[in-house]
Amino acid sequence: MNRRRNRVGRVLANGGVLVVVAIMLLPVLYMLTMSLRTPTDIAQAPLGLPLDPAWENYARALPAMNYAQAILNSVIITVAVAALTALLGSMAAFPIVMRAGWWTRIMIMVVALGMATPNFVVITPIYVIFRDLGLLNTYPGIILAYAALNLPLAIFFYIGFMSTIPRELLESARLDRCNDWQVFWRIVRPLLGPATATLSLFVMLFVWNDLTYPLLLLTDPAKQTVTISVYRFVGNQNVLPDQLFPAAVLGSLPLLVLFLIFQRRIVAGVTAGAGK
Amino acid sequence: MSRRSAIAFAAPAVIFLLVFFIYPIVRTVQMSLTDFTGVGDATFIGGENYERIFTRTDYLEALWITIRFTFVVVVVQTLAGLVMAALLYRLPAIRNFSRAALFTPAMMSFVVVGYVWQFIYSPFSGGLNALLRSVGLDFLAQGWLGNPDIALYAIAIAHVWMFTGYTTAIFLAGYAAISPEIDEAARIDGASSWQRFRFMELPLLSRSFTINIILSTIGTLKTFELPFIMTRGGPDGATQTLSLEIIYQLFRNFDFGFASALSAVMLVVIVVIAMLQNWYLRKREDAV
Amino acid sequence: MSITRTSLVVMAAATALVTAGCTSSDGTSDGGSGPVTIEVSAWKGNDVEPAGLPELIEKFEAENPDVAVELTYIGRGDTDVVLPPRLQGGNPPDVMMTDMALVDQWSSQGLLVDLGTDSEWYERIPDPLQGILTTGDAAYIMPLEVIGMGNFVNTDLLAEAGVEAAPQTIDELKDACVALSDAGINPMIFTGGFSAALTVIANGLESSSDAAGDLGSGAATFVENSSFNDTVDLIGELSDAQCFDASAQAGLDPWSTALTEFQAGNFAMMPQGAWNIAAFDQVDGLNYEFTPIPGASAPGVALDLFGFGWSIAEASAHQEAARAFVDFFADPENLQVLLDAESAYSPFEDAASGTPELTAAYDSARADGAIIAYPFATLEWPKPLEQEIWDSLTAYLLEPSSSGELLERWDTSVADAN
Repeated sequence: MNRRRNRVGRVLANGGVLVVVAIMLLPVLYMLTMSLRTPTDIAQAPLGLPLDPAWENYARALPAMNYAQAILNSVIITVAVAALTALLGSMAAFPIVMRAGWWTRIMIMVVALGMATPNFVVITPIYVIFRDLGLLNTYPGIILAYAALNLPLAIFFYIGFMSTIPRELLESARLDRCNDWQVFWRIVRPLLGPATATLSLFVMLFVWNDLTYPLLLLTDPAKQTVTISVYRFVGNQNVLPDQLFPAAVLGSLPLLVLFLIFQRRIVAGVTAGAGK
Repeated sequence: MSRRSAIAFAAPAVIFLLVFFIYPIVRTVQMSLTDFTGVGDATFIGGENYERIFTRTDYLEALWITIRFTFVVVVVQTLAGLVMAALLYRLPAIRNFSRAALFTPAMMSFVVVGYVWQFIYSPFSGGLNALLRSVGLDFLAQGWLGNPDIALYAIAIAHVWMFTGYTTAIFLAGYAAISPEIDEAARIDGASSWQRFRFMELPLLSRSFTINIILSTIGTLKTFELPFIMTRGGPDGATQTLSLEIIYQLFRNFDFGFASALSAVMLVVIVVIAMLQNWYLRKREDAV
Repeated sequence: MSITRTSLVVMAAATALVTAGCTSSDGTSDGGSGPVTIEVSAWKGNDVEPAGLPELIEKFEAENPDVAVELTYIGRGDTDVVLPPRLQGGNPPDVMMTDMALVDQWSSQGLLVDLGTDSEWYERIPDPLQGILTTGDAAYIMPLEVIGMGNFVNTDLLAEAGVEAAPQTIDELKDACVALSDAGINPMIFTGGFSAALTVIANGLESSSDAAGDLGSGAATFVENSSFNDTVDLIGELSDAQCFDASAQAGLDPWSTALTEFQAGNFAMMPQGAWNIAAFDQVDGLNYEFTPIPGASAPGVALDLFGFGWSIAEASAHQEAARAFVDFFADPENLQVLLDAESAYSPFEDAASGTPELTAAYDSARADGAIIAYPFATLEWPKPLEQEIWDSLTAYLLEPSSSGELLERWDTSVADAN
């Protein structure tokens, strides 16, 4: 009896949460349906469904966006940035957690300063540095810039995460004659899985959706990211729904697919981290 | 850990921070003392730009708007993320699906989210008004972005909608670090779901709180994209946040010097707020 | 004292130590032999607003086999973000689409090439525009188009309400509004952000005793200008004539949701720019005309906007090729392609235009000389004032004040800018 009540409660709880999630997804659904409708149709029936789907919206958008190449570029840049950011960020967080002192305070303040700095403020100096180093219009250039922009966040992230690792674990490793690097690489790094997965998400979204940097640092159309191709297609003067919504859907779709793949990695990381 | 290896570990990151943040910030402070217009030479004019900020109401008003906006976003977003995470922690069957679903809005760029919500809020053919009318709540239908008293909160809702998935994910990462043994022990002791949440999970999540609150505070203080797209700072300046003000000074008035001064002020504000938060949240963590 | 210059030198020296010599960023050398590639940036030429650029570039390359053109699309809003660092870094596109605001800022820093007042096409620019385009005694921009800003009128809706012809005067506009709203049709879009501003500026300048330049320099004030005071009061009269629901207009965005509403036939009139014609023509079942903005007297006001032109970067290593590209567009036959795509008017004396049949009313108002140049495009009014006008009109629509109070804000903005 009691058990059955429990089961019913469980079903209700699951159902309730799913309803909330569905409500949160409504605007996404709105975007999807709008992308298959004509502007006239939208204004006449704001909540109507695309009974006669205007596939021509997509027929216009797809060829114009140089889609496959743009996706490939985004993926290359994202993966490289995520790896570099995770490595540098976790390495910097390690001594901050292990050896708190006056210098860590300064370091944290610098990191906070970095996080607080709006992008548009640093653009001109960065451009000049890149020009002088010959990094303009190169993948390494944009990857370095993005890694730097995400680094403060990564450091904060890893400081938070490493603080939860029991000190005894690290101390015992020291007794086993591991040097600092070995402690970091063999003991700390494997525990960082979940943090790295979440961080990679941040990085991915940042890189994927940022407009300013690729616009400035990549002038070659063949190297452009997906967001730029969306943006070039829509423009920013007269925004009309039959152009904006299909482009928006196409711009978000690959992220969703990527996210599902990352999602699995996160789960794996979580179970690995929690199973110790 | 020896001093030398500490330096070795931090060095690569430090070099990055120096080149990409410290140097540009120094340049910004330099520029704020000039009448630089973005190209060509700059003339030194001392503290004139700063004087203008503090003797005019417009800029302090923009700061106040920014702080109000941030406060609403951070509070609502953190609570929503916490509630969702606590529920999903208890419902493993739908956890991963829901986390992915909640994250979907963040998959879209600010530009797209801004436009989608602008269409939703539109007074005549907008989705929200159409929805209200269809359930007989006509009296609620209005120009959401056209009313100065509501516009800022309408944008805040869009912002929260976009990032609740983030906060949920961070809290869930915190939950993942809670060892199942503790949880199991609490269950065997007969603690109710609410008691476990209140007395065990909340304290253990204090780290995640710190990360969430500081991240969303800083992120929201800096943001300019949504107001920029949805209202362009209007109606009549009601959603003109400080960063939007800076953007306009930079790229509409070409007043790089003044914009740099505003950026410097903004930087100080953000750092002060972040430090206060950090100090307070740490104190809370230690008290646990 | 030049902070920028010195720090650049320091930076360069520091990086030279690291890299042992700087490389030029694009890696191409201009030896004069072999084909050169020039980069052209424009806020036209993407799929939504192609402006005929892709085909014109193809034609140019066919005629100049030793030059390849690489078009970089940068939206007008982003031009301000993206190009200054590139100009500052000595690595700008060879040819850039510019307007007077950009020319004014960049030419004073010596970043643009003086195209000369002795060129074949400079002679062909009519006087008033020539004066606007000339900075000192130099010409930094080759104009490509002048485009109309007027009143879009949905002819089906007007007919439905029994209105015979598109209104040319304010009185006719009021009558039309009454007829339309009696027929249950929303008469007009009047967003403070753009549509209302066009109406107010056109009517204010039409009867103004002060020159636009004097109002923009502070030599004359808006507050003491009777024409502008009357025009502000006009907003209330239009509102009384049921032209619009003032507070609802504040929630429409002139660049997105407002356009959608007009396209769908939800509103009968909308003051906007002729650049929308290309998109409106794609809409099935939308029958409309583009007419002058209703004014004190017929035919109303043709509010002309000097849109944009080409400028050449001083730092360009391919001056000859860049010049050839710019001159190519001055050929009327080539320019016609752009004008057709844009529904715009030629900036030259030949009075060519690319406007379709439905702008006949606007065309004839121009022919009658009922033209007022949009004062922000000509730099007669300072740029910050534009936003202040949009903001103050939005505030006025939400909560009407006295005309003096509103115009006071404009004068303050002018005083700040000068």
